[in-house]
Amino acid sequence: MKELRPPPKQMHRPSRSRPEIYTAVYRPESEMRRPLQLFNRMWQDLLASRELAWQLLKRDISAQYRQSFLGYAWAIIPPIVTAAGFTFASNAKVLNVGTTDLPYPAYVMFSTVLWQTFSEAITLPMRNMAQSKMLLAKINFPREALILSSMGQVFFNFAIKLILIVGMFLWFGMPVAASVILAPVALVHLVLFGIMFGTLLAPLSALYKDFAKGVPLLIGMWLFLTPVVYPVPSGEGLFGFFVKLNPVTPLLVTTRELATTGVLSDPQGFWWASLVALVGLMFAWLLYRLAMPYAIERMSS
Amino acid sequence: MTLMASNQKVVSTPQSDDVVLSVQGVSKKFCRDLKRSLLYGVRDIGKEFLGLRGEKNDKLRKKEFWALQDVSFELRRGEALGLVGKNGSGKSTLLRIIAGLIKPDVGMVRVNGRVAPLIALGAGFNPVLTGRENIYANMSILGLSKEEIDERFDEVVEFAEIGEAIDSPVQSYSSGMAARLGFASAIHTNPDILLIDEVLAVGDLKFRAKCNRKLFRLRQNGATFILVSHNSQVLLSACNSAIYLALGKVVTSGEAKSVVVKYENDLFLNEAAGKSKDSCITEEINNDEFREIKINDCVFIDDQGRIVELLKTSEAVTLCLRCTAYERVDEVIVRLIFRELSDFNELVLELSSKADEEELVMELGENDVLIHLSYLGLKPGLYSLRVLIEAGARNTCDRVDSFTFRVQSSTIMSNCSFYQPRSWKISNS
Ligand SMILES: Nc1ncnc2c1ncn2[C@@H]1O[C@H](COP(=O)(O)OP(=O)(O)O)[C@@H](O)[C@H]1O
Ligand SMILES: [Mg+2]
Repeated sequence: MKELRPPPKQMHRPSRSRPEIYTAVYRPESEMRRPLQLFNRMWQDLLASRELAWQLLKRDISAQYRQSFLGYAWAIIPPIVTAAGFTFASNAKVLNVGTTDLPYPAYVMFSTVLWQTFSEAITLPMRNMAQSKMLLAKINFPREALILSSMGQVFFNFAIKLILIVGMFLWFGMPVAASVILAPVALVHLVLFGIMFGTLLAPLSALYKDFAKGVPLLIGMWLFLTPVVYPVPSGEGLFGFFVKLNPVTPLLVTTRELATTGVLSDPQGFWWASLVALVGLMFAWLLYRLAMPYAIERMSS
Repeated sequence: MTLMASNQKVVSTPQSDDVVLSVQGVSKKFCRDLKRSLLYGVRDIGKEFLGLRGEKNDKLRKKEFWALQDVSFELRRGEALGLVGKNGSGKSTLLRIIAGLIKPDVGMVRVNGRVAPLIALGAGFNPVLTGRENIYANMSILGLSKEEIDERFDEVVEFAEIGEAIDSPVQSYSSGMAARLGFASAIHTNPDILLIDEVLAVGDLKFRAKCNRKLFRLRQNGATFILVSHNSQVLLSACNSAIYLALGKVVTSGEAKSVVVKYENDLFLNEAAGKSKDSCITEEINNDEFREIKINDCVFIDDQGRIVELLKTSEAVTLCLRCTAYERVDEVIVRLIFRELSDFNELVLELSSKADEEELVMELGENDVLIHLSYLGLKPGLYSLRVLIEAGARNTCDRVDSFTFRVQSSTIMSNCSFYQPRSWKISNS
């Protein structure tokens, strides 16, 4: 058979838009043994995954809402239902939650929105990972894109819920503190804290189904240790201790306080929790990357 | 392609710019038991994270096996490599390691250039979204930027022959349309290295021809391929070298045709051997109830009269029936019934001297009935021959119930159900 090998000069490859030569080396040994190279790659991949994350985000959001009649309403129905339920229970004296600094229905609604945003930040990376199994198993795209697009989805869903929150402020005639412009910062920290767990759990949940079952359960339990339907307990009891220890408490409470009263009850706790979130996220990212080939190996047999 | 002996270290070759892919002594182990495999997975992740995983992980843990063992080769720009091997021989595993999806356990892979796996056609297509939206998502997963996709969009749609349907949801597409769209978007990423794993069988004949043309053009433009295909014709038309894998090991490698021939021979024989235990030549000669003629022996011989153990498709051979006649028989009728030993023991050929209007006469004493086959037309495999000798209108004299023999091939026989003697030329008038 005649071999057709063109003279290399004539090749018209798409070199205009991508001049660099991609070189990749795949070795058995742990990538942690070449940390500089690893961190460099992580950074490169993060940059490279922005555009892909945006495309994935667009794809997922349009698919999600195109196939549903109520569409965007699904983002705001759960907090309304939760708020209605707890307000009813509280008014009927079934539940005694003490006084809150906001009207109780508004308090529950706002806190539920924040809590849901946090819990989505945990579950969406896992869900996106499960949904992209086929892709992950077959195409080597920057894995960071999945996390970024999950984060995008979390913020998108929050943006829809923002309509509810604005409506709630108007309805109850609540004053807005000037500190509201800082609230997004606190919100981002809250989301990053959730994403940290999501990133950590995503590759593991691809291995063991137990995570997909257990994590929602744990999130449900966690909700009870977070001041969402009740105010921060003032007592020194065991319950109060756990609620204070819970790092979500300062993040969530600070976000709420920045948006409403402007009086921060626990700024120190907030910074500690934020530090945990940021350091933890870096750690989770590293683990996520390193675990991925092993998870993928076991995904598609 | 450069092939290396297993223990040979590859020193950086002088033309290393040109080497786009270098696979050096790659091995990969898998675990058959899922539960254990998950456990090993968690353990490996832990080791990876703590930096405990070394360069060589060549100890098999319980229930593990080598899915790939010590595979080495190099590909230069514009070369095309075919991978053949039975199912489960590790072809996809090799491609997945080259694509960087899974880590090797031993060895190293170096890739210079963009790899596009044509493994996952339309993976990631969302059925609810339109073809247009899916092209954008799919091509960005394959590593293109928005502008690059914009640039190629029309070409992709045209290549996929989707037309107006581009703005309707993909779930309304026929499977052929979806596959075409998947292929079109994958191929238009203009990769340096294409990994093609048994996907050229999508779509109708016309589209397949178009795909092959496109691949050919890509290769002319300097793209490098690795092609896994069960169709040897496709493989041979696209690749100049090939590797034959069996149970994760390289059996042969080198020039494509010889590798494919070796693979096909093994394939046919293994298939046949699976059906019948004794793969060597066996015969059952029914000696009890002969009448005028008795068959003593049944062999294949060549021109020089030497016994042929292993038949070759397309070569000349003579079937020799050694008989003893107890009286002169004027009108000998010989019938040969060939069955291929397969699931159905299919009848493949029946020859009869009567149908051929041959007038055969057998004298008293020892006789050889010689049936000369100028080209053996049977394709490679295991066959059973039934021989009947009849004396005129009188009944069967003697028979051989099952003479089993093997046929191998020295030419490519895929897509051929028999050997067609032929010659080629172009006459210019
Ligand atoms: N993820 C996996 N886990 C365990 N075993 C696997 C996995 N992937 C492939 N195998 C096994 O490895 C062997 C090689 O598989 P594969 O590379 O898919 O073969 P081929 O593509 O040549 O048919 C097979 O025995 C297969 O069962
Ligand atoms: Mg395969």
